[in-house]
Amino acid sequence: MSGPGAALDPAFVEDATVVVEDASVWFGQKVALSELGCSFGPGVAGLLGPNGAGKSTLMRAVTGLVGVNAGRVTVDGRDPRQDRDVHHRIALVPEDEAVPGSLTARQLVQYVADLHRVKDGDAAERALGTVDMLDAADRQLAGFSKGMRQRAKVAAALVTDPAVLVLDEPLNGADPVQRASLIQLFRRLGAEGRTVIVSSHVLSEVERLADRVLVLIHGRLAAAGNHRAIRDAMDDRPRHVLVRVDDPRRLAAVLLELETVVGVSLTDAGLVVTTERAGDLAVAVAPVARTLGVHLREVRPLDDSLESLFRELVR
Amino acid sequence: MSRTEQVGAVYDRGYRPYDGPRGGRRAATAALYRTSLRRAIGLRRPWRQKVAPAALLAVAVIPAVVNVGIGYLTRDTPAEGFQFITYREYVGVSSALLLFVALVAPDIVCPDRRQRVLPLIFARPLVGRDYALAKVGAIFTCVFAFSVLPQAVLYVGKMLVSRGALDYFRANTAVIWQVPVAAALLSLFYAVLGVAVASLTGRRIVAGASMLGVTLVSSTVSAILIHADNGGRVVQGNHPAALLNILALPLRVRDLVFLGRIGEDSPLSGVAGGGILAAAGFTAVVAACIAVILYRYRSVET
Amino acid sequence: MTTIVRARGLTKTYPGVTALAGIDLDIPEGRVGLVGANGAGKTTLFRLLLGLARPTSGTVEVNGIDVAQDPIGVRTNIGYMPEHECLPLDQTAADVVSTFGELGGLPVRAARQRASEVLDLVGLDEARFRPVGGYSTGMRQRTKLAQAIVADPKLVLLDEPTAGLDPSGREEMLALVARLGGFGIAVVLATHLLDDVAEVCDHVVMLDGGRLVTDAPTTTLLQRTGTVTVDVGPAAAATLAAALAGRGLTAMLDEHGATVEVTVTGDGDLDWVRDVVAEMGLPLYRLTNRLTSLDDVFVHRGPEQR
Repeated sequence: MSGPGAALDPAFVEDATVVVEDASVWFGQKVALSELGCSFGPGVAGLLGPNGAGKSTLMRAVTGLVGVNAGRVTVDGRDPRQDRDVHHRIALVPEDEAVPGSLTARQLVQYVADLHRVKDGDAAERALGTVDMLDAADRQLAGFSKGMRQRAKVAAALVTDPAVLVLDEPLNGADPVQRASLIQLFRRLGAEGRTVIVSSHVLSEVERLADRVLVLIHGRLAAAGNHRAIRDAMDDRPRHVLVRVDDPRRLAAVLLELETVVGVSLTDAGLVVTTERAGDLAVAVAPVARTLGVHLREVRPLDDSLESLFRELVR
Repeated sequence: MSRTEQVGAVYDRGYRPYDGPRGGRRAATAALYRTSLRRAIGLRRPWRQKVAPAALLAVAVIPAVVNVGIGYLTRDTPAEGFQFITYREYVGVSSALLLFVALVAPDIVCPDRRQRVLPLIFARPLVGRDYALAKVGAIFTCVFAFSVLPQAVLYVGKMLVSRGALDYFRANTAVIWQVPVAAALLSLFYAVLGVAVASLTGRRIVAGASMLGVTLVSSTVSAILIHADNGGRVVQGNHPAALLNILALPLRVRDLVFLGRIGEDSPLSGVAGGGILAAAGFTAVVAACIAVILYRYRSVET
Repeated sequence: MTTIVRARGLTKTYPGVTALAGIDLDIPEGRVGLVGANGAGKTTLFRLLLGLARPTSGTVEVNGIDVAQDPIGVRTNIGYMPEHECLPLDQTAADVVSTFGELGGLPVRAARQRASEVLDLVGLDEARFRPVGGYSTGMRQRTKLAQAIVADPKLVLLDEPTAGLDPSGREEMLALVARLGGFGIAVVLATHLLDDVAEVCDHVVMLDGGRLVTDAPTTTLLQRTGTVTVDVGPAAAATLAAALAGRGLTAMLDEHGATVEVTVTGDGDLDWVRDVVAEMGLPLYRLTNRLTSLDDVFVHRGPEQR
């Protein structure tokens, strides 16, 4: 499935740090990943899929915690399972892993720093500062809310200054303020050139967070790329666009004459146009409105949110 | 052409409001009691869960059957009148009951805490006292039933194999009130002890082991003290340290019910005011257990 | 519209911390979202509503019943869906829900009947005869919801009902919650996900540090900012922004650089946008008013104009 006019399959990026080649992972009878091919590079990528689709397995394979039974996974061209060097450049923040409650945040971060032999003495402080946890750094983890525990884990992951950061549902349990600041943080990390891979179930946030998304279903890639482009690629399904103008009937009459417009219906909210190709409608709507002299007040696709995309894919 | 009417309808199986009667605390407590009792007996649960109560019932009933059998066999013979086990002795086949309570009380009490079901329960129209009552009530019912039913079997059996049923009845009327009362006191004791110990933890195994531990340790300590004091000789009776034996407290009270005094076979016999001390000890233990239970299930903080 | 929860000067302090500080609330019937940071007082409020904690001062009434006077009466008509795991794992859902129906005061037969109906409603089919221990998160959440409504309460308190659910599960749960209003059940939905609130709730209550920040209908919070978002595709966004600026409009790229945000004061400005887009032959994928999101209200304490 290639995107419109793209030379490269959207599952892959040009400047890839992490490359997954036809990787398969199975646990006994259960096939967790099935000949998966994709790559990740600098920036933020969102990993989506129903529960049990293989997201966690993919994350573990990328960070070397799980070996692939077939195919290859490489980070900077090397095997994350064998190569110690590469191992220090990847960090994973898993979803529900328990942390020893009697440690303080600072102790946890320092412990991870020591484990990875981080030479920089200030690394722990900086990591805590990045997640805005300096004032709570000396409190025990057991007393933290879920959102704060997540942040502590992110700090522990950042202390090694990883080139690749993999986060499994990092926004779980975070309150709105924490969510907003974590989203900002991840975008910044991606902008710095790190490869950030985030999985989340809250699709509206993935839209804000990620530059591209990969959708996994039953261990296979169901879609990849920019979510609007994905929606366009699903061109066997008609699109619905809401168009609000001051004179809907005149507009409706003209739009119906367009080839790609299949139907038009008048609703309280405005004109709902059903089209086979959203792109063709988009090109036509402003010129038509201008010619007719109607005020174009709103143009809104009713089904291009990540949510509706997901719904279509999972069906 | 005849006109056939086509009829069809789609019924909305959506939500229906409830207009019926609603019980309050009493109904909720009764429901909790029923659920706990079912769980204790092993109803609606896999077969493994039914082993303990079944085994207990068997252990409880066998002496009755044996006694009746012997009574039948020795009828009209010189050995007539031989009692395999007296009614008094029969109330409180201690080890079996203790094991049962140590197994079942944690099973109906601990999971509510461990699996964090308590907030869900207390969001219903009941308070801590009601919860305690339901749980204690469930254990009480089991132990009481397992104490009294075999006795009933024994009584009726003996009546049938004796020469004159009515004569037997007249000769043994006291038993008819003694057994239930003693059994009730015994059941109450075990029920509150079991629930109190179980309420202290969320882990069933810890609770069960603790209960066995507490009772056995107390009886051992008591025996050691008596033994030491008697200079290593085995002497029956006459030692107040026998009160420390928690396991035996209900048995002392049972003796009080049946005999009006401490039985000769008890280490407590001969101690001045032994009966009163036993009763006081019994009450103290029961009160302490109830206090623990109410504390652990205080549902509303002030 | 009736008031389902009324609080006056509601305060709850523990040694060293004030969980709620003098709150006045008038929560209407319907679907109400309760949002706040961790520790803002949401859980404490729920406990006070259920009569599981006594207020340090102030009063709170649920369905017209003073909770301090008659906590049992209040609990007869409330359903509660906690956030944490709270189901007995070795019982089946059918068993659990009917037992909790009985605990709520329903006669045995009615409880069993209603249990079956609400389990239908939440979509637990064959699975209801298997022990809860083997359920997925989605199934457990649905069972929790079922036990909350089995006794036909007037009010349900839902604590993070979509936690742990994948997007489809979340959609289904929110759809169920939305339907509850139609059944005459008032809903208070405590959540971190402002999107859930925007989607399902008619009214929003925001708490912060034990204080009331907002208590208002959702619609008044989501207001027009006077900005429209124009999407002509990421490739052309910058060019469009420049062209619009050239015509005297305030036009800037958004944070992704993919869309253009234009300040618009009326149809005249909109017509400029329309004409520029048409002249440049750009595809107009989207032209929408940028509304304040609850995020803006909550995170920035006030609708923001960009």
